[in-house]
Amino acid sequence: MNCTETVETTPANARTQCIIDMPLGLLGFEEFKRFSLLTRPAEAPFLRLRALDNPKLAFLVMPPSVVLPAYGPNIADQDTQFLGLQNAEDGLVLNIVTVRGPQQATINLKGPIVLNRRTLLAKQVIPLNASDLPVAYPLPLRAN
Amino acid sequence: MLILSRKLSESIVIDGRITVKVLRVDGEVVKLGITAPADLPVHRQEVYDEIRRSNQEALTRPTDRLPKLAPLAGTSRA
Repeated sequence: MNCTETVETTPANARTQCIIDMPLGLLGFEEFKRFSLLTRPAEAPFLRLRALDNPKLAFLVMPPSVVLPAYGPNIADQDTQFLGLQNAEDGLVLNIVTVRGPQQATINLKGPIVLNRRTLLAKQVIPLNASDLPVAYPLPLRAN
Repeated sequence: MLILSRKLSESIVIDGRITVKVLRVDGEVVKLGITAPADLPVHRQEVYDEIRRSNQEALTRPTDRLPKLAPLAGTSRA
């Protein structure tokens, strides 16, 4: 596993960083194929995805089940095979979050990132039911 | 743009390894079959553009604050 856990003196600073391979990059950013996925407990459920070769290419992602337990992207067999997913537990779905303002954020349900937990191989997938999935679903935020 | 006309069941080949075949013509809808290596992504243009734009908009800036999610109805905050 290409993940390192850093335990700091204060648990709040602990973090886990995984290096993931995205051979096809992200749509529109196909040339960037290696990313770090950073988890900080204080930032849960958000994770940070950053291209190793371009630190400016940074995204917030999150597992969709936190806000949409019923989210069901229909992943094509070719994508499942490409990722080497042998069963459902192998796969982790993460969706990209767009911060649009202090009280406004959306999540892209149309182009999820699917990660093989075992191999850390990932792809931004267009599901078979993409036409039914919004690219900017509003995230329910707490009124500050 | 290279413009070619094809009939049903005819194909074109790109770079000797990608083929596009006309599988079905149903009124205005043309069904295409694409054979390409797995490392060559193929997408409907408008969906590709929509996600590309969304990815672009989603790039975070160092000044961005993390959104504060409302708890799901009926669950406690993690």
